[in-house]
Amino acid sequence: MPNVRILPDRVANQIAAGEVIERPAAVVKELVENALDAGATRIEVEFAHGGRSFIRVEDNGPGMARDDALLALERHATSKIAEADDLNRLATFGFRGEALPSIASVSRFTLQTRAAGAEAGTEILVNGGRFVHVRDCGRPAGTRIEVAQLFNSVPARRKFLKTDATEAAHIVTGVRLYALAFPAVAFTLIEDGRVVLRSPECADLAGRVGEIFGRQLREQLVPIAAEEPGLRLHGLIGLPGAGRATRHEMITFVNARPVDSRTLNYALIESYHEALPKGRYPLAFVFLEIDPAAVDVNVHPAKREVRFRSEASVRSFVICSVLARLREMAAPAPAAMPPATSNIQPSTLNVPPQSRVWPAALLATPKASAAGVPVVIAPPATTSPPVAVGNSSLAIVHTGRGPQATAGWRYLGLAHGEFALFETPAGLVLLDRRAAHERVWFERLQAQFRDHAVPNQRLLFAVPLELDPVAAALLLDRLDFINRHGFEIVEFGRSFFRIEGVPAWMEPGDAGPFLRDLVAAWREGPALGANPDAAREQLARLAAARAVRLPAVAGETVMQALVTELFACRAPLTSPSGRLTHIELGHGELARRFQR
Amino acid sequence: MKFKINRDHFSNGLAQVLNVVGSKATMPILSNVLIEAEKDCVTFTTTNLDLGIRARIKAEVKEPGSVTLPVKRLASIVRELPNLDVAFDASPNHHVKLSSGGSTFKIMGIGREEFPPLPELGDENSFSLDQATLTTMLQSVAYAQSSDETRYILNGVYFSFRDSKLTLVATDGRRLALISKEMDVAADRAGSIILPAKTVTELLHMLNKGTTLKIAFNERRATFQIATDKDTSGLLDSIYLYSKVVEGNYPNYQQVIPKETQQRIKLERELLLACVHRASLVCSEKANSVRIKLTSNLLEVTAQSPDFGEAHESMAIAYSGPELQVAFNPAYVLDPLRALTKDEVFFEVKDEVSPGVFKTLENFVCVIMPVRLS
Repeated sequence: MPNVRILPDRVANQIAAGEVIERPAAVVKELVENALDAGATRIEVEFAHGGRSFIRVEDNGPGMARDDALLALERHATSKIAEADDLNRLATFGFRGEALPSIASVSRFTLQTRAAGAEAGTEILVNGGRFVHVRDCGRPAGTRIEVAQLFNSVPARRKFLKTDATEAAHIVTGVRLYALAFPAVAFTLIEDGRVVLRSPECADLAGRVGEIFGRQLREQLVPIAAEEPGLRLHGLIGLPGAGRATRHEMITFVNARPVDSRTLNYALIESYHEALPKGRYPLAFVFLEIDPAAVDVNVHPAKREVRFRSEASVRSFVICSVLARLREMAAPAPAAMPPATSNIQPSTLNVPPQSRVWPAALLATPKASAAGVPVVIAPPATTSPPVAVGNSSLAIVHTGRGPQATAGWRYLGLAHGEFALFETPAGLVLLDRRAAHERVWFERLQAQFRDHAVPNQRLLFAVPLELDPVAAALLLDRLDFINRHGFEIVEFGRSFFRIEGVPAWMEPGDAGPFLRDLVAAWREGPALGANPDAAREQLARLAAARAVRLPAVAGETVMQALVTELFACRAPLTSPSGRLTHIELGHGELARRFQR
Repeated sequence: MKFKINRDHFSNGLAQVLNVVGSKATMPILSNVLIEAEKDCVTFTTTNLDLGIRARIKAEVKEPGSVTLPVKRLASIVRELPNLDVAFDASPNHHVKLSSGGSTFKIMGIGREEFPPLPELGDENSFSLDQATLTTMLQSVAYAQSSDETRYILNGVYFSFRDSKLTLVATDGRRLALISKEMDVAADRAGSIILPAKTVTELLHMLNKGTTLKIAFNERRATFQIATDKDTSGLLDSIYLYSKVVEGNYPNYQQVIPKETQQRIKLERELLLACVHRASLVCSEKANSVRIKLTSNLLEVTAQSPDFGEAHESMAIAYSGPELQVAFNPAYVLDPLRALTKDEVFFEVKDEVSPGVFKTLENFVCVIMPVRLS
């Protein structure tokens, strides 16, 4: 039987480090928070190799005296709270006093600091939790912390780190959040000797957002400010119609702390339910100020999550404020809407790719036809037998019909501009124009991809595209793939791209939003990199939704041509996102309904 | 208000202003025409707030006054009246009696109080132009405007009065047409506007009823005074057209016009037009491109679509450069060829990734970007 014993501090610190310091970005976060808590107005962050070999955070704060500096490396030593009750009045980021000892226990840690009035600074070097030396040093007032060889004492953790690029992206994203929260503090971020972000003190949040996310995004935002007793909301929210396919640009802060709060996220999404199509996320950079006693930040080791004492009242306050602001904007004229976003169509992103029955059939058929049947010119009749064999119930009926399926159909008219009505030998058919068009385009694009014959229209004016670091890394990774499928995109500086050519069917103005959606889908979805067929299918599905442009009026010939093309498709029953393309009412059904 | 007017003049006057009506249900008065009678003329005005038109017609005014009436209905009634003499009589409660021969109509009108006035512009930035010239210039570039509302800056024709010339530019991001003409532009009056597509269409309707027109503009709006001295069916003075302009910065079009000439060939416009048009008949939505191939003294145009077939056209030209080929969207080749009137055009190409350029001797340039199979 092992004896029960109290763990030495060094071990306890390493265990705590496992919770608090999960990756290099967490080190940066803790150190930047300390600098901000200390009241610094200039913060410089430098890191190398995704932070695993070197991280330096330097500030111009008040610094520490030698005794304080030594004490700060002890567990649960903090200047930020004194008793448990202080937790209810927290105005600082940190309070547990765990960060410094935790970091010091898993790295080679150097702290240099000089208090404003002191004659000499202090330098402390700790390696893997063991003190190496404490000595005098010269430096300007403020604190500088270097963390080298992170996780040198916990090789297991080191193995779990992702690639340098991914870790770097996490650091950049994290620093940007704090830069947003403190526009008045100057931030510099240096990666491997290159300046990634340099933002001087900005007058307001809008200025900072412009510095970090670019002018394009800033122009889609409007300020919001609302107040009620105990609660204050301020910041920037997106114009109606300006949405994104992901939540990456929906950023919330509670008492200046960047948080991931379900309550706030849902409140924002709900506020925009009329201003954005379903499945799109609003742009938001909002700050909620609330009595520290009404919120618990001590829920998550990294304090990423918070809990409100009264979720319902926070939620209703946010919804009311944002809705009021949106109504205010909608009131003057629709001209206030940014034209650049008016074309957003309900995206199909939120449909999980594995849903429904048809993908199996779709994926199976290209292989079947590739096995011997000429794909391009072959009339669907020759390709349909293998489909019918491998397919499940519903699709068989329709694919089996072939192009003759629509013989004897008579076009009757268009209802609500969306549904075409046909009289058929078997009864009546209602056709959803959009779904039908999407299906036709989807298979058309798939055929182009398969034949490596994607026409690319070069552009006169290259379209600029600015992405955040994570999205940029993804796009860069698959640039070849994209460029083989009708685009012509070149990298143009860090996180910046130029679209020099688009697929021939695409409007140049659509290219930016489409690529954003595509990258977002890559980011959310499973890794498809290894499977070009699946990646292509995903691309075709997104593209089909964009390619469809429905004219307001469509004549009989157009609609007849559409059904003919639809029934030449392999899976005419559903659109690529799984919605029905048409409904058939047979004679029997009609007779039953009319009680004949 | 009371006046007598010739039916055809009345109809002609309404036809000028008919296309500009508001579609907003919130302001029903915008689907009305404002009719004002004074001295020896009647003025018709319509506006949809973005665009407004005013035309004057001669009439025998017995009692001056004003009223507004639904313009579409009114125009279709006037057109069909049985007799050339029409009497128009509006009572103070805005009921209008229209009589001609044996037919009488009573139409409910609305008072003019709610009708928004057309803004007037001063003379600071105004230029006189020849109507026939402007028509040719507009027709040479108008087809290249973008109809994609997401890039609203491109939904119009760019007018630049600068460097002693007037330049008109239109582009949709894939092709660009430009035409310019020498003109006196004082440096302090230089300026530019983007005229919305709808205004361009209306303007083309109005032009060629007289010899000259005057354009005045500032950064938000433009006005045109189109002389009607050649018109014979009742129009007086000039037609006044007011339009908002597209606000924003037009892209820097100069940088996309190739500076150097690689291979220049002289072509007979109609011949090339016919060849490309025939070849494009086999194109489909799936395969919408024509390939132009240059070999020694021969130009070949080919097109194909996988589910239909292919076309091959050839024409003799004077060419001694290297063999090269390049593909384009057929519409982008056909549009400038159709819009031009000269018999000869110059076509410049370099390779399959560089733009093709049409030029004429009249300062016309049309740059079209190629299509490639990737």
